[in-house]
Amino acid sequence: MLRQNMIKIKKMDEDELIIALKELACQKEEKEKLLTELIIVNKELVFLKEEKEKRAAELSIANKELAFQNEEKGKRATELGIANKELVFQKEEKGKRATELGIANKELVFQDEEKEKRAAELGIANIELAFQDKEKGKRAAELGIANKELVFQDEEKEKRAAELIIANKELVFQNDEKEKRAAELIIANKELVFQNEEKEKRAEELIIANKELAFQNEEKEKRAAELGIANKELAFQNEEKEKRAEEKEKRAEELGIANKELAFQNEEKEKRAAELIIANKELAFQNEEKEKRAAELIIANKELAFQNEEKEKRAAELIIANKELAFQNEEKEKRAAELIIANKELLAFTYISSHDLQEPLRKIQTFVSIILDNENENLSDTGKYNFQRMQLAAGRMQQLIDDLLAFSRINTTDHKFEKINLSIIIEEVKTELRDTIQEKHATIEATELCSAHIIAFQFRQLMYNLISNALKFSQPDIPSHIIIKSNIVKDSKLNNGKLSPEKSYCHITVKDNGIGFEPHFNERIFEVFQKLHGKDVYAGTGIGLAIVKKIVENHNGIITATSELNKGATFDIYIPTA
Amino acid sequence: MNIKQLNILLADDDTDDCIFFKKALDELLLSSHLTVVHDGEQLMHLLINETNESPDVLFLDLNMPRKNGFECLSEIKLSKKLNQLPVIIFSTSFEQEVVNQLFQNGAQYFIRKPSEFSQFKKIIQHSLALIVQENISQPARENFVIAVQNSLFI
Repeated sequence: MLRQNMIKIKKMDEDELIIALKELACQKEEKEKLLTELIIVNKELVFLKEEKEKRAAELSIANKELAFQNEEKGKRATELGIANKELVFQKEEKGKRATELGIANKELVFQDEEKEKRAAELGIANIELAFQDKEKGKRAAELGIANKELVFQDEEKEKRAAELIIANKELVFQNDEKEKRAAELIIANKELVFQNEEKEKRAEELIIANKELAFQNEEKEKRAAELGIANKELAFQNEEKEKRAEEKEKRAEELGIANKELAFQNEEKEKRAAELIIANKELAFQNEEKEKRAAELIIANKELAFQNEEKEKRAAELIIANKELAFQNEEKEKRAAELIIANKELLAFTYISSHDLQEPLRKIQTFVSIILDNENENLSDTGKYNFQRMQLAAGRMQQLIDDLLAFSRINTTDHKFEKINLSIIIEEVKTELRDTIQEKHATIEATELCSAHIIAFQFRQLMYNLISNALKFSQPDIPSHIIIKSNIVKDSKLNNGKLSPEKSYCHITVKDNGIGFEPHFNERIFEVFQKLHGKDVYAGTGIGLAIVKKIVENHNGIITATSELNKGATFDIYIPTA
Repeated sequence: MNIKQLNILLADDDTDDCIFFKKALDELLLSSHLTVVHDGEQLMHLLINETNESPDVLFLDLNMPRKNGFECLSEIKLSKKLNQLPVIIFSTSFEQEVVNQLFQNGAQYFIRKPSEFSQFKKIIQHSLALIVQENISQPARENFVIAVQNSLFI
């Protein structure tokens, strides 16, 4: 640079030099300024360097932090990777689920269709249920009868069982007696056998004694014969020995005496032998008798043994028969218990189903009434008419449900009997029917009333049904007049046949002056759903009098109806006083 | 009769019946405020914990989920805080035994839900009139059941 300046200087003139000098001076100043600036810049740089070092330190910290953050990010990235995979999996699952939902939707559509079908089926099923309810009513009545019969059979079986127990005891007693008697006979037999043996021994001894006696007799006869010979010899010797006559005569006399003695002894022995023979014969006879008696006893014993066996067999048979009876009783009790449960279930079913049917029905009615009120202008005359018919039909169904409920409630509720004056019941019913009584200008005469043994709430229903019937079937132009009486009677005076002649009964009469009915309907009116008039003439379901009859039966009583057309009707109720 | 706004509480799980009730109230042009709960637990929770204005009357259905009307009535009548609240039983079925029991348990009135909407309206109006006019002591047994024909004098 200096060399270039020198070249430039040589070429320049003085002015130029001056200018150049000035310029140089200026440049020098510039350079000094620049230098100063450089120094400042340097200081600045030093400062910056320091700053940078600080910053570097900070950066290294920041770097470390970044490195840590990077690590964290790496971890997080891994986690995100996993999460992503999971999301992908979930997405797949959602896809699957969407497909499933599509299927489920289709299924729902199908189910809806099925439900509509099922609803139609339910309509049919409802009709069938109504029919079944009727059938169940019948069946319940049959079951009631069957139950009573079972109870009666059980009683009979218990009686028979009691008789058998008594008979068994008697047999056991007889058996004991016979066994005692047999034991006594066996002892008697043994004794007889012993006596027989003794007698046989004794007979044998007698035979031996006889033989001995016979032998002695023979001996003595021999001896007598020998003595005869000896006598002859002696007589010969006497003749021969005349000389020794005195001595020999003495001797002869002695011998004569001895002979006589021997003859006497012989005679005695013969007598004794004869006695022994007689005794023997007697013994033989007694032996025979005893043998006969023993034989008889053996036969008697055998017979007794046979009888004992027979009795044991019979006792065993009786035990078996008893067991069988006991088993049959148990079976019958089980069956009766089952029937009672089945009955209760049936009634509970009717009650619950009727109860739950009320709510949807009421809503149908309410919605129809809203439509008729609010959409009156929008409906055609036919439309209105049809809705009105619908309302009537629903109203009738409601009445039916109410009555069915009342009917089944009679069976389901527990029966609690109490002694109540009938006038209390009648007053309650009159209060309940206050409005109708006023409307019909009816008078109810209920003065002569006694107390009765009744189920209060059932009897209230009974009187309600009878009185409201009397009010309903009043003659259009004659004010209704109802007379209710009751008194205690004995069946022997009634000669009815259906009631026990021993018991006393509370006889209640409800008599009206209404339209009555033809006499031949007097039993049919008590059947369920039986009506004598179209429902447009007299509303009703035909359950009211069936309930009445059921209640009377629950009280073990009877009810009869007597009437002629347009001549009023009389209902006679008989229930036991206790 | 309606000097101030009536605070009415309805406890009924049946949507249709709640609609009927609300519609009836709207058409009666009463100054009223209706609160509806759908089961017995909700009802008792509301009554016990609610610190705002307590209702003037409760219409109580019997057949409700979780806690039925019977249980609610007993709890209300046993509670010192609530036993002055008039409870009107609002039920589909009508059984003498049940009605007797409810009267004994301290319900104010018994209403069998009518099947005609016009009657529905009348019976609600009548029962509200009774609540407004009379004090809240229980009526005699023969006046316990509110029937439609008795509403003639309104």
